[in-house]
Amino acid sequence: MDTILSTSDTHSKQGSEGGDVAALVSSLQLLLPASSIIISTESQRPFECDGLAVYQQLPLVTVIPETVDQVQAILRLCHLHRVPLVPRGAGTGLCAGAMPHAEGVLLVMSKLDKILHINQNTATATVQPGVRNLALTDAAQPFGLYYAPDPSSQIACTIGGNVAENSGGVHCLKYGLTVNNLLQVTMITIEGQVIILGGEGLDEPGMDLLSLVVGSEGLLGVVVEAKVKLLPRAPRVQVLLAAYDSVTAAGDAVAALIGQGIIPAGLEMMDHLAISAAEDFVKVGYPTDAQALLICELDGTDAEVEEQLAVVSQCFTEHGAHHIRIAKDAAEAEALWQGRKAAFPAVGRISPDYYCMDGTIPRGQVGYVLTRISELSRSYGLRVANVFHAGDGNLHPLILFDASVDGELQQAELLGGDILTLCVDVGGTITGEHGVGLEKMQQMPYQFGDAELAQFRRLKAAFDSEELLNPGKGIPTLKYCQEYRSLQHG
Amino acid sequence: MDDLTAQLEQQIQQAYTTKSPLKIQAGNTKAYLGRDSSGEVVDVANHSGVISYSPTELVIRARAGTKISHLNDLLSEHQQRLPFEPPSFAGEATIGGTVAANQTGASRPWFGGVKDSLLGLGLINGYGEAMQFGGQVMKNVAGFDVTRLQCGAMGSLGLITDVSIKVLPEFKTGHTLTFEMTAEVALQTMLRWANLSLPITGMSHLQGLLYVRLQGGDSGVASASEFLGGEQLVPKVAKEFWQAVREGRLLQPQHNQILWRWSGSSDAPIHALPDTSLINWAGSERWALKASSSTPADGLIQYQGGDRLAEVYGAISAPQQALQERIKHAFDPHRILNAGRLYSWM
Repeated sequence: MDTILSTSDTHSKQGSEGGDVAALVSSLQLLLPASSIIISTESQRPFECDGLAVYQQLPLVTVIPETVDQVQAILRLCHLHRVPLVPRGAGTGLCAGAMPHAEGVLLVMSKLDKILHINQNTATATVQPGVRNLALTDAAQPFGLYYAPDPSSQIACTIGGNVAENSGGVHCLKYGLTVNNLLQVTMITIEGQVIILGGEGLDEPGMDLLSLVVGSEGLLGVVVEAKVKLLPRAPRVQVLLAAYDSVTAAGDAVAALIGQGIIPAGLEMMDHLAISAAEDFVKVGYPTDAQALLICELDGTDAEVEEQLAVVSQCFTEHGAHHIRIAKDAAEAEALWQGRKAAFPAVGRISPDYYCMDGTIPRGQVGYVLTRISELSRSYGLRVANVFHAGDGNLHPLILFDASVDGELQQAELLGGDILTLCVDVGGTITGEHGVGLEKMQQMPYQFGDAELAQFRRLKAAFDSEELLNPGKGIPTLKYCQEYRSLQHG
Repeated sequence: MDDLTAQLEQQIQQAYTTKSPLKIQAGNTKAYLGRDSSGEVVDVANHSGVISYSPTELVIRARAGTKISHLNDLLSEHQQRLPFEPPSFAGEATIGGTVAANQTGASRPWFGGVKDSLLGLGLINGYGEAMQFGGQVMKNVAGFDVTRLQCGAMGSLGLITDVSIKVLPEFKTGHTLTFEMTAEVALQTMLRWANLSLPITGMSHLQGLLYVRLQGGDSGVASASEFLGGEQLVPKVAKEFWQAVREGRLLQPQHNQILWRWSGSSDAPIHALPDTSLINWAGSERWALKASSSTPADGLIQYQGGDRLAEVYGAISAPQQALQERIKHAFDPHRILNAGRLYSWM
């Protein structure tokens, strides 16, 4: 268990503001048990980054409160002393949104991990923010219910983090993102005021503040409780796999299927490099000669699934699938998904490092964008594996690189930046589900004009006028934007 | 079918300079909602037309003055629909007003509200600046969600110029079943059926009858229908019923009456709203007509009728009010846009 530090450890934090640090820690000690305060460099090391480990920073102090009252007291303290505060869930985010602030407090919400109530009648759950995504689905299981958003980090990521990032997952094509599965949150403002957004019902009167807070990356407040929708488990789930000779053909099959009125529960695509890496890793029988693979999940009653399965199989065949495999049972369905779910670690095995991007594009642009990405890949001399949510056009190009080679990380970042601006150019966005954080700050002025960015800043100020909550993330400052524009025009 | 953005921008810039209040209006079908407000009319009705529609992308983008009826017709040519089933009010309601007033039909619990289909929008704020938020793609988390913030804002944060909406395939088939039962029994029944994986797209109770609408594929609807039983309504009658539900025509307040809307947990007891006449959304929306004013309660709003200068949307907490005032200021510092429409202080 982490403990408070010896004096010598605290000394290492000193500098010109050493006195302030000691005062801050003393104040925190009045609010929290010793086990909830971490100060030593060594003990804070696990918290210095989120899932995007190339961005690292140690905070002044890390706090892990156990109660909502403690969270409120920490926020008030930070507000009173003008100390930056960065909220963090499980730290699985992929945009450095939870990277600590060098002069601030890192607020880790993982101990607020109680499922407060599951209401079987209304199919809702009230949870604390530190509840893990999969833990909620597990708890809902005995009631025949589950929580629909299922990001690939669902074993570790928390509901609070999901709210902050508006997380999706492989099933959001049919069942929506976090914003579509949330009824109410209790949020504490930087001043320590408790505000309830949303409600027990479906549409509260007035502006939709709940949706504004979802995906706001910890810039507007700290969520301490959430009421979410649960869904009844479908009586039948059917998974099938289709192999194609080109990503364009697979992309066309996706567009045709959606055009025919079928919205599968999940519709994922992997390209050749990702297929080979996944098959080498999990050996589930993926056709490694395929240039593209579609994994499609249908759910509903027996009658509904049978009806859709016939349409999907025919559509995939008509669009050039040279191999279609329909899972015979739950075990085979699980195996077919396993390769997709293990795609990131599988790619991790074939390259020392990889960098995961997250753009969304109109579905019809998939073929063009993937062709452009492979051209960019060649010109940068870096391999790119593509794994993505084909049904909703959310790409996850994985750029393979070796950080130990001088300059290769920078090249990977440049290539990543080019991919994101490509997404904007075809009418898409720089981030579909991972968030802006610190990582995509540079692309924000590319996607948004000055008026929109200024509106974002005024909105931020309405919640947090002194910019104490997760400063430097999500929304670029005016100065940053001016420098960006002058470089573009210079 | 014109793009009047520049003209609308100019009118708001002018009002910003002179600090003159403006009243945003298009089809003028929802004047009875919210509080009464005054100001020079900004007419959005002619700022209309579909900007883009790609059936295979399931996305339609249209100017705010485009009529819901026009969108419905166009989508139905491609066997698609607006998922949130908005009222079209004799063909006059527009998509901009629908988003601002957050208007949804009976399918709300199953296919979501306006926010669940809204992908992006154009907005002119109280400075007279035209901006674009969100986009035309399914997933987008760049920047704050200013798009969904507008749902229910009644135009108090900006004039919506265009919206991008996710559309869905039209149902292959459907019909409505009715069951004779009291409101109490209907509430329990709705809760039970809502938790089964059935192709239900509407459950309402009115005057001793529970109405259950099934929509989906042929075999899914047929097997659900057989499972549930009940009496099948004549298609024309069913269509009229659900249209009346979404247009709020089933309960019309007479001269001294107020129509109250209650929104809350679907398992709240029947007395959560005394004198409930209509239960909608499988129990999470309830309606009552009363001769006089009612005691304010959680989730209760004065939907239609009565004093329209009162706080019709109920009370909110002091910190929440202070926050909303700051948000209003962030968009509309001179409070010129639909001032007081939502709350007296906004």
